[in-house]
Amino acid sequence: MISNITDSHESGHDAHAPVVTLIDQLLSDQQKLYTPIVEIADKIDAGEIRTDTYKHLIPLSKPTEGQQYAFQVELDKCTSCKACVAACHSLNGLEEEEAWRDVGHLHGGEAEPAWQQTVTTACHHCLEPECMHGCPVGAYEKDADTGIVRHLDDQCIGCEYCSLKCPYDVPKYSSRLGIVRKCDMCYQRLEVGEAPACVQACPNEAIKIINVEQEKLRPILEQKRGFLNGAPLPNITLPTTQYVGREVPKTAKPADQEKLIPAAKHTPLVLMLTLTQAGVGALIGAALNVSPTQSIIGSLMFFVGLSCSIIHLGRPLGAWRFFLGLKTSWLSREILAFSVFTLLALLSPIALSLVFYDIEGFVNLPVASFFARALYPFLGWGVTIIGLISVFTSVMIYHDTKRDNWHLKFTIPAFFGTTFAFTGLLLAQVAPFWSLLLAIPIIADLILLAPAIKEKPWTPALHRARLMWHPLRKITIARFLCGILALVICPFSIYVALPLLIAGEVLSRSLYFRAVHSPKMTGSF
Amino acid sequence: MSHLPRIPDLKDPISLLKEEATLVKKNGPLTTELLHRPSEFGLGNLPSTQGKVTTTTKSICGFCSTGCSLTIHADENGATNLTPTPGYPVNLGMACPKGWEALAVLDAPNRATVPLLNKQEITWAQAADEFCSRMKETQEKHGKHSIAFISTGQIPFEEMAFLGSLFKFGMGGLHCDGNTRQCMATSVVAYKQSFGFDAPPYTYQDFEESEHLVFIGANPCIAHPIMWQRVLRNKNNPRITVIDPRNTETAQCATHHLAARPKTDQALFYGLAHIVFEANLQDDAFLATSTENWEEYREFVKDYTPERVAKDTGISEEELVSLAEAVALKRTSLWWTMGINQSHQGVRSAQAITNLALITGNIGKPGTGANSITGQCNAMGSRLFSNTTNLLGGHDFGNEEHVAKVSEITGIPAEAIPREMGKPYNKIIDGIMAGEIKALWIIATNPAHSWINQNCFKEVREKLDFLVVQDMYHDTETAQIADLVLPAAGWGEKDGCFINSERRISSIRPVKHSPGQALTDFRILQLLAHTWGCGEMFQKWTSSEAVFEMLQKCTKDMPCDITGIQGYAQLEEVGGIQWPYRAEVEGAKPYERERRLFADGKFYTPSGKAKFLYCEPTEVKELPCAEYPFYLNTGRGTSSQWHTQTRTKSSAILRKLYPEDPYAEIHPDDASALGVRNDEWITISSRRGQIKVRAYVAPTVKKGDIFVPMHDEQSNRLTYPDFDPYSFQPSYKTGAVKMERA
Repeated sequence: MISNITDSHESGHDAHAPVVTLIDQLLSDQQKLYTPIVEIADKIDAGEIRTDTYKHLIPLSKPTEGQQYAFQVELDKCTSCKACVAACHSLNGLEEEEAWRDVGHLHGGEAEPAWQQTVTTACHHCLEPECMHGCPVGAYEKDADTGIVRHLDDQCIGCEYCSLKCPYDVPKYSSRLGIVRKCDMCYQRLEVGEAPACVQACPNEAIKIINVEQEKLRPILEQKRGFLNGAPLPNITLPTTQYVGREVPKTAKPADQEKLIPAAKHTPLVLMLTLTQAGVGALIGAALNVSPTQSIIGSLMFFVGLSCSIIHLGRPLGAWRFFLGLKTSWLSREILAFSVFTLLALLSPIALSLVFYDIEGFVNLPVASFFARALYPFLGWGVTIIGLISVFTSVMIYHDTKRDNWHLKFTIPAFFGTTFAFTGLLLAQVAPFWSLLLAIPIIADLILLAPAIKEKPWTPALHRARLMWHPLRKITIARFLCGILALVICPFSIYVALPLLIAGEVLSRSLYFRAVHSPKMTGSF
Repeated sequence: MSHLPRIPDLKDPISLLKEEATLVKKNGPLTTELLHRPSEFGLGNLPSTQGKVTTTTKSICGFCSTGCSLTIHADENGATNLTPTPGYPVNLGMACPKGWEALAVLDAPNRATVPLLNKQEITWAQAADEFCSRMKETQEKHGKHSIAFISTGQIPFEEMAFLGSLFKFGMGGLHCDGNTRQCMATSVVAYKQSFGFDAPPYTYQDFEESEHLVFIGANPCIAHPIMWQRVLRNKNNPRITVIDPRNTETAQCATHHLAARPKTDQALFYGLAHIVFEANLQDDAFLATSTENWEEYREFVKDYTPERVAKDTGISEEELVSLAEAVALKRTSLWWTMGINQSHQGVRSAQAITNLALITGNIGKPGTGANSITGQCNAMGSRLFSNTTNLLGGHDFGNEEHVAKVSEITGIPAEAIPREMGKPYNKIIDGIMAGEIKALWIIATNPAHSWINQNCFKEVREKLDFLVVQDMYHDTETAQIADLVLPAAGWGEKDGCFINSERRISSIRPVKHSPGQALTDFRILQLLAHTWGCGEMFQKWTSSEAVFEMLQKCTKDMPCDITGIQGYAQLEEVGGIQWPYRAEVEGAKPYERERRLFADGKFYTPSGKAKFLYCEPTEVKELPCAEYPFYLNTGRGTSSQWHTQTRTKSSAILRKLYPEDPYAEIHPDDASALGVRNDEWITISSRRGQIKVRAYVAPTVKKGDIFVPMHDEQSNRLTYPDFDPYSFQPSYKTGAVKMERA
């Protein structure tokens, strides 16, 4: 049937007699492309200059003193086509799944007639960019002329603190690059009088660039007005995007508000926090017990924790610039505090050993003994004070994100709870009643879980409890099991209780991250 | 478009340290990666990572029927990116996300790259041989008509014409249809009966010129976003009426949303006609000169009093009167899509709309029309040239003059052309179930996902001796159960033409290398024709453009006459051409960007007058009951999803823009009765199957209604297989279901 068609891959016909078969011909034709030589002059004559079609959507003049560029979104024109997202991705050459703009839905609740609204959102180029204030290495700048909040990609160390600081979930981490990236309002386009990608792409001209008066906007935003109902309150960062065109009811809520999606795991941070807090607590306990062994355990935990903080960074080599953020960033302050504490954590076992063995009479080194005895009380106090200050800087890092779930009232019991549990664990060796301290973090987590018992209107606390009790149930149960076992065993053997306590606290800290309600602009169902 | 390196460049420690020794690094490789550079061709700033654009070409988007032009940026290796074409009369420089991502979906790892027989790789020679010998074997054993094909509205019409011709003229088959049966058949029949030809009369300019736009069962905000662009450019501050049981994105933008009970549109439009006649608001002059039987229709609608219709539809009498008056007194265009077409009485419902346009004279004038918005990029092409339901170019198979004309133009012997009609899609399925059809060839469609009452498709597979799937992807639900998979090149890798909703013919271009051994459908057909032994018959069918020229000739003196088009070059140069484009009429005048039909009040019927067609509406066959108390509605989910998602799920950006999990929209009252919170898992079951989805609790659906997006592979397990009696289009928007906590 196919006598006149031979497939070159199949049959071994004579190589010297090239037979162009139909299939070869078809396969070869298939790879020919249509690539006409189009002269640019032809295009200009035809009036098809893409950049002309959206000239009216950007301001005629650059911002003057006291002004900045801002996005304006006319909600009645935003109808869920989402072209802005695809265009942002495509015209900025971003990664496969990366786009700096997103689209979500707001809902008017259960009242009829139904009310819903699509919301397109990108970086709000805030008056008080918390990403910038939180950055430990100064990888953000707010452009003095345009107000555009720019991320300096090569300065970034990939700590992702800005992602936690931004209430709108704007900076996004790239594991390929080890840094975050974010919307730069297509400043390169604006510089040459072109509109940003999203502005160009909206079929309904719903997105514009306008000049806003910064000081007129500031008091309005500070009073939690002038932004968008159903979005995180604007008084934290003072976002400049102007949502206009359709009244958004006070009842408006994000379509994805009740979606129970656990937040990022941040495993290195979980280990770093738990182990540094455990280390501080253990070192305090060791100092009180005058136990070199315990001190070594405490130091070990602390240093393992510290090294996790380095693993956490996407580009750790740049971390030496941490002092650039000391003025505004609790992360910079934490790095400083922990750097000081590192010295104490190194010295502590040595000093304790000397004191311990001197008391026992095993060594006879008068000089060392003198220093150890003289240093010891200071070291004890130093470990306690600097240690607690370090833990406090950790607390403040999270409190400063202004997330409800990470408020001081939740973070202090969690972080210091861990610290004191480890102190308690070691002291229990001397007096078992100290093991009661192990109950603090367990009770703290039980309180977080409590809202899940009853159906109530949505709150961030309820959201956290539901996350803990539904998608994260296994972790939650394991957390309590480990914690309670450690508590029960502690009076009998602190060394059996120790790994259980570590496990329980690591799981607790894991819940701290995964069960957090992360504020963001509305998503889609 | 990902041309980015996987990891940052590795460097030696010293240079790394040197680099790190600066206090503030405003430049470096990471910053450079996002730099733009000015490009030529008026494209503005483009990312420097995408390479220098050395040439551009235009191609019409291959997803929906809007027909947006995309400017493809290319370098010597082919396409690097695209931007919507500025100044193109359809999309005016805009595109929806599918258009923006049109190239991205071609790079998918699941592209079909080699022919597969029972999932084993074979050569094209073996594949062609297998195809022909098995098809011939089937014909010998079970009769000539025991083979069938189901095609698509997604490929150029030159390929459709070749496919339909090879099958019917070369292979001697008869039963073939397209997936257009699932979306457009109703409008085709409605127009044919009312206007004498399948002729959507409008041009997109009508969106801008109406004083009143009525959308019936249509959600253009997400289904045809680039058409909505035109609505927003309307300077008349128009009244926008949306008739839809759901409070859709479009309903949110309407000035008037009428949430009629599902499938009561027919009665609704009879009721509106009643009000118009009662108030004597009809366009008497137009009715007298341009319509046939309007008095009978006036008689017929007398029974459809506002009181009765209000009861049937759930819309108040005041709202009915206000709508009828607005249609009669304002320059009104009426637009419908699947809410009408996919119905057990779709043809008569579409005609009820058409009738209202006729009695109010809303036709042939700017900003008017009874307008069906089409679904697929080339559904309109398939309506004229697929050689399935009509002979190439809108001709009748039974008409000897037509047969002779087509035979002469195409070089196909007249005796090879069958005089009888083949079966429509649903009857082909019935034929398979009855054992009459034993071999099925599926081209660029995915019935194992999309066919109504999907479970029956499993039985279909078991009944078939031979199932061939010709597709871009080797893992579509249907390809997975095929005996033979033929790897096809897709949009962007082939040439040919599409016809959009407003009858605009435009061309597409090959701008990317197809993967592996994938061939265009055109080349696959050439190979199969040759292998079958009917290559001689298709001697003239050498290229898409050669076929285009033949098809042009076929349209001569038909309503869709396009004999005036000067090849693909003219199509690209002027921005597409709407049919008709006769050499001696439109071709002789300066090019007009936008043209509508029936400005002269003459229709394509023998009398030249439009006809009123109507009948008593009937209830849907499966109504909610005690056991299955909810009414099931299906439809489009988001703008970033296309049908069974074989393509759209291949773009990470498009995936990001639609929900991760399948969901059902349910009313808050129904949710709380069930004790279900937003986002919790529920099961929905009908008499035919069950699905598990997340509950999306919102009053956007009415109490007692459930909406499920059609894109989820599970959805059609639930749908009730009912068909319009004239168009045989499946009624996807009916079914009784129950709901439980999962």
